[in-house]
Amino acid sequence: MTENKLFSGSCQAMGTRVQIHLYAGDENRAELYFEMAFDEIRRIDRTLSHYQDRSELTRINRSAARKAVTTDPEVFRFLELGFEYSRRSGGAFDVTIGPLVRLWGFFHGSMQVPSDDDLRQTLGTVGWQRVALDPAWRSIQFLTPGVELDPGALGKGYAVDRVVSLLRDEGVHAALIDAGSSSIYGLGSPPGKPGWIVRVPYPGNPSRCLSTVNLRDNSLSTSGSYEKFFRLRGRTYCHILDPRTGRPVGGMLQTTVISPHATDSEALSTIAFVSGPRTSLELLQETSGASALWVLGEPGTGDQIQTWNWTEPVLAVGGLAYRSSIEALLPEESEIQENAFQPSKELVTKGNDK
Amino acid sequence: MNRREFLGQAATAVVAVSTLTSCHKGGSEVAPSDRVKLGIIGVGSRGQDLMQVFLRVPGVEFTGLCDVYEPRFTQGRKITGENTPIYRSYRQLLDARDVDAVVVATPLSMHAEHVGASLDSGRHVYGEKSMALTVEGCDEIVSAVKRNGKHYQVGLQYQYAPEYREALRIIRSGKIGRVLQIHAYWHRNNSWRRAVPDPKDAQLEQLINWRLYRKYSGGLLAELGSHHLGYANEVFGSLPESVTGSGGIDYWKDGREVPDNIQVTYRYPGGQTLFFSAVTTNRLEGCQIRIFATGGSIVLTQDGGTLYYEPSTEQSAVPQESIIEHGIITAASYKAEEPYRGKGKKLEVPSDTSGNPEYLACNSFIDCLRQNRHPEADENVAWKAGVSVALGNQAIDGGNKIVFSDQQSRGTA
Repeated sequence: MTENKLFSGSCQAMGTRVQIHLYAGDENRAELYFEMAFDEIRRIDRTLSHYQDRSELTRINRSAARKAVTTDPEVFRFLELGFEYSRRSGGAFDVTIGPLVRLWGFFHGSMQVPSDDDLRQTLGTVGWQRVALDPAWRSIQFLTPGVELDPGALGKGYAVDRVVSLLRDEGVHAALIDAGSSSIYGLGSPPGKPGWIVRVPYPGNPSRCLSTVNLRDNSLSTSGSYEKFFRLRGRTYCHILDPRTGRPVGGMLQTTVISPHATDSEALSTIAFVSGPRTSLELLQETSGASALWVLGEPGTGDQIQTWNWTEPVLAVGGLAYRSSIEALLPEESEIQENAFQPSKELVTKGNDK
Repeated sequence: MNRREFLGQAATAVVAVSTLTSCHKGGSEVAPSDRVKLGIIGVGSRGQDLMQVFLRVPGVEFTGLCDVYEPRFTQGRKITGENTPIYRSYRQLLDARDVDAVVVATPLSMHAEHVGASLDSGRHVYGEKSMALTVEGCDEIVSAVKRNGKHYQVGLQYQYAPEYREALRIIRSGKIGRVLQIHAYWHRNNSWRRAVPDPKDAQLEQLINWRLYRKYSGGLLAELGSHHLGYANEVFGSLPESVTGSGGIDYWKDGREVPDNIQVTYRYPGGQTLFFSAVTTNRLEGCQIRIFATGGSIVLTQDGGTLYYEPSTEQSAVPQESIIEHGIITAASYKAEEPYRGKGKKLEVPSDTSGNPEYLACNSFIDCLRQNRHPEADENVAWKAGVSVALGNQAIDGGNKIVFSDQQSRGTA
């Protein structure tokens, strides 16, 4: 079958809009792919959502402080991966962060700076070490009351990976899966193109392109502080919290990570954001095919860009005070040519709630 | 990342995390003798969902996967483990020794054969809804349950939904008066068709999209409406006495043989009515059961339930004798009390009973096996819903009224 037409579909799930663009022989075929993909996304949402009353994650959260809760192999493997990232990142990424997010009002509530006492008390329920996993029984048990699991955007990355796997199994050769602009996978590439074009914007300014990526059989995830934050007494508080201190991460505007799997990219972009370039580098180096781009700074102040393994040009735009590559891979600034802006073909990635 | 790769990644994670588990007694309350070994006939998408849910119950494992479509084995083993035995014939699965109970998730037309054979092999059965395609098939399964003295639970999981049970409790308490009408919907907006690797392969098309073909399927009424019918039968405490129906292939003219929209009206002996509608071209109504009683209404959805009292039936707060004796008091204004009008009152269930109906149903089935307890959604519940579906489909097909006289005279199976 000649698969030469581009079709697009979208659905609302996992607290965001998921868009899929794919090449298929005809509209009926494309519809079947969309239906299959969106069914899978909704299935994962129903399973891993921490706010849906009937999800498997809610069942675990409701009971695991009282007894070990057995879950199915898929959910257990997913949680194991989350805990593995928590351990390897030294807690910079933590699947038990939920109570902190709520305390700061970043989850539905009104944003506020909590008191030291409240922060201390909440920190007493946060920490991946407070959960015991038993692979023999596929069970999860909270060792401290008040703990809850909130894998955040990791579920979104997992959903993207699952859709990629299903579409591949169905013989789809070219598709772009985009979950809320923050978790993206380029399966194959459009005919005659090196990949699916994804533009990494300057933080908070989607019209200014920082770097243009051709995504082919690769995923990309972006975390940004500019999507949700508040200012109080001259200080800016972003919604991405450091689970170890319980406080918003400072000095970081945006991180973008490319890696072969969207689940990994989601975890790594958060870790890169919370830990910064130097500390997260080890983890990135351990991930085959990973690359990263950091924009350090505070909103409205001078910025600094750092990259690791980032092979695409990074543009110098106004306000950038300093740019450095950890391994000096980038060409000199003068050699970088600004790419033509092609809104119909490109996709802008942006930070999303993690 | 596919599941296999994911499994590989997670294997590394196990080593790291399990070092934390030395003080953990996870799942140890399940003794080896309490392990329940399940075999499954039909490892399609519904079967895979069920496998996943059953594996959330401590001590459950799958010891046999049976299907006639080769790719299902790989898909199934991704859920149950790479070494799960596979069978290409259900007879082989039933001949295997380490199978305590069988899950049947095959096309509807095969339920009677597969459930019957599983029961005859001495296994308990969790059988997907609807019970069987025909009234005779439903009768055969009931006979097989009685003949073998084994447990049979039908996959009508909403029978286990806590809010649905709570609604039933309220109705039976008489709080909302007499239920006379139920309007139920399952409205979707999709083709109800699944992708087939080779669309030109007619046999494969029918195998994967069996729900669309008469030979195998009871269409929307069986696959969607059986939940609503099972519940209405319970609310009205009876099998219907007649049904009229309509439906057609009006939009998805893609070679399917079952209607893409149906409307059926069942009449019950107590002068009660169930109206059920399923469409595949609009999802405004979604999945819901609207129960209308003389003193109130209950709306049940997949996410819970809401109660509305009927203001017109509110009794005066002042006893009539008192009015004659003491009169009434005048005030600046009188605001009529209209409790729970507007947004209604959410049906509350104790937190220890809340949860996903599918998990509760599967967990209950395993508990029945361990405790040798009779399932709630047993062969009688299944038979009533199954017969209601089968005769409802006759009404849709003929466009005429079907009377349940023969079935009614038998009461229940």
